[in-house]
Amino acid sequence: MAENKVLLDHGSGGKISHSMMSDIILPLFNNPVLAMLDDGAVLDISDISSKKIAFSTDTYVVDPIFFPGGNIGDLAVNGTVNDVAMCGANPLFLSVGLIIEEGMLISDLKKILKTMADAAKKAGVNIVTGDTKVVPKGKADKIFINTSGIGILPDNVNVTGANAQPGDKIIISGTIADHGITILSSREDLKMTSDIKTDSAPLNYMVKAIMDSGNEIHVLRDPTRGGLGTTLNEIAAQSNVEIKIKENAIPVKSAVAGMCELLGFDPLYIANEGKLIAFASPDHAEKILEIIKKDEFGKDACIIGEVLPEKSGKVYMETLIGGTRIVDMLTGEQLPRIC
Amino acid sequence: MALKYVAEYRDGDLAKKLIQSIHDLKIGKIRLMEVCGTHTMSIFRYGIKGVLPKNITLLSGPGCPVCVTAQKDIDTYIEFAKSDKFIVTTFGDLLKVPGSSSSLQKEKADGADVRIVYSAFDALAIATDNPEKQVLFCAIGFETTIPTIAATLLVAEKQNIPNFSIHSSHKLTPPALAALMQTKGVELDGFLLPGHVSVITGTDAYRSVHEEYNIPSVIAGFEPLDILKGILMLATQSKMKRPALENAYPRAVSDQGNVKAKEIMNQVFEIGNATWRGIGEIPDSGMVLNKKFEKFNACSRFDIDIQDTKEPKGCACGEILMGLKTPEDCKLYAKACTPMNPVGPCMVSSEGSCAAYYKYNR
Repeated sequence: MAENKVLLDHGSGGKISHSMMSDIILPLFNNPVLAMLDDGAVLDISDISSKKIAFSTDTYVVDPIFFPGGNIGDLAVNGTVNDVAMCGANPLFLSVGLIIEEGMLISDLKKILKTMADAAKKAGVNIVTGDTKVVPKGKADKIFINTSGIGILPDNVNVTGANAQPGDKIIISGTIADHGITILSSREDLKMTSDIKTDSAPLNYMVKAIMDSGNEIHVLRDPTRGGLGTTLNEIAAQSNVEIKIKENAIPVKSAVAGMCELLGFDPLYIANEGKLIAFASPDHAEKILEIIKKDEFGKDACIIGEVLPEKSGKVYMETLIGGTRIVDMLTGEQLPRIC
Repeated sequence: MALKYVAEYRDGDLAKKLIQSIHDLKIGKIRLMEVCGTHTMSIFRYGIKGVLPKNITLLSGPGCPVCVTAQKDIDTYIEFAKSDKFIVTTFGDLLKVPGSSSSLQKEKADGADVRIVYSAFDALAIATDNPEKQVLFCAIGFETTIPTIAATLLVAEKQNIPNFSIHSSHKLTPPALAALMQTKGVELDGFLLPGHVSVITGTDAYRSVHEEYNIPSVIAGFEPLDILKGILMLATQSKMKRPALENAYPRAVSDQGNVKAKEIMNQVFEIGNATWRGIGEIPDSGMVLNKKFEKFNACSRFDIDIQDTKEPKGCACGEILMGLKTPEDCKLYAKACTPMNPVGPCMVSSEGSCAAYYKYNR
């Protein structure tokens, strides 16, 4: 028997749409707000005293949709959870918008939705509202997912890319370039096999632990598209400071380094989906590093550099042999559809 | 899949020892040319200039295949791309290089079928898959690339593939070095010779140039320790006033080179003149299709003859490729000419010296 596929009717808003909602989506994303099935979600925040919320959105078009260590579903949940967390906030609610290509296997869709539900549970967020559209075959590529997230910002938090200060130590929460190289090596036309997998992971507990500790932190960023090199450049420009990192301090898995070498990529510019960069005042950096290392996703964390007082807006790297070079923003063609 | 023999050649402690040895020579002013673009990139990537004594100047040479491709050849590739009948296949670096009025990238945006390939064999596969189209392969490159393109043509010949042809702008390294040494104003105290090219040519290919001009010459690999070792050997030769042809890359390069690859190359191509961008025509510095394989020559098959055009005003690519200027001496550098909007090919290619200066040295 042919496998069941998504039909245009599934996005019609009619009977089949409703049955997909009640049979597939509701049981997975199980929570009372979504179950109301109203046009929007009404969120009760009466027990929260904070005056600020953080709000972020991101759209996921990764190709392929399944890859070692995850799929587009957990990528979409973790990505937005992390974007909200990087504001210093505690993410609580997500919306999910699905754009599905007609003909997608229902079994694949279920797998993705199940992964999203598991990822949301792991991150402690609720998917409270959503939307599904189906477009004719060829008008989208299997599935695109948009997620938006809302988080609560504790009082007196001020983490932003514009807040890097001379003397700050720069911490990376683990090995770089895992996600980008995973996607690249799982594309069929490259015909490569390796044991590399995505680092996609929720970082909100790590951030909460840092915030709760009371240590002084100035910048949090997740170096996704454009990688560590581009993110550091953004921060140097936003804060009008100079950044110096050490090549021999930057953690890269040997398999990932090998793939980069073969393909001619610099791991500094390859996407990550479960790593954060933290700029911490020098007195507090070691304590923050210890907190990050205690987190499930921060075991390989280390200090990779520091902020210098010059107002050049540039990033420099001390190379393996003791030379110095500029780490520029990424220019030219990036790997398309990496997230 | 950790790679062996990579980290070993990037060892910081060993590098420090080599750097110290270079400093200990207390050498007077010398100008060394790294002939190959991959060396240029590696020198910048590891910050090698900054750790050398001030007296040693490193200059980029003519060893970036995209940079030395004549504007006429670029215009020829673009002319083919403009035709509906053609799929033009190219290495990615060539895409953005401006011709006299367009680039392959602009033609692609305008609807031309221009495809990036990683090997000439990929281009041949495109020809097999698209029998209703003509497939042109933009054949640029040095001794490193020519054998695989020759191997592709041997297969095309054997399988009798009618819709595949090339426009060859291939170049040979040793004649270019000889031409450089004869150029007025070029003052060099040593050549850091390319690793990959030498894997094919072997050390022996440089012997006549070395003997004629009595210039220190050392073949080196591309890792930082390889390059530092090569520079130490060149500086030592210079200090001792004992110019020699030496091989600092014996793990890959032999005296004879890759005999099989050279045989394949010579089955398909023969030596001919070639025009180098910014330098001009250098006798016997190119590889053109021989009689038997002339049918794969796109220009003669389709009767295309592009006139030579003037290179862009102010662009110093030619002088930079000969070590007469550095990118910073060029008036356009980092102003009118950037990687986002390149004027000359040295700013386009990932191996171009202007691109290296811009990326790592501003």
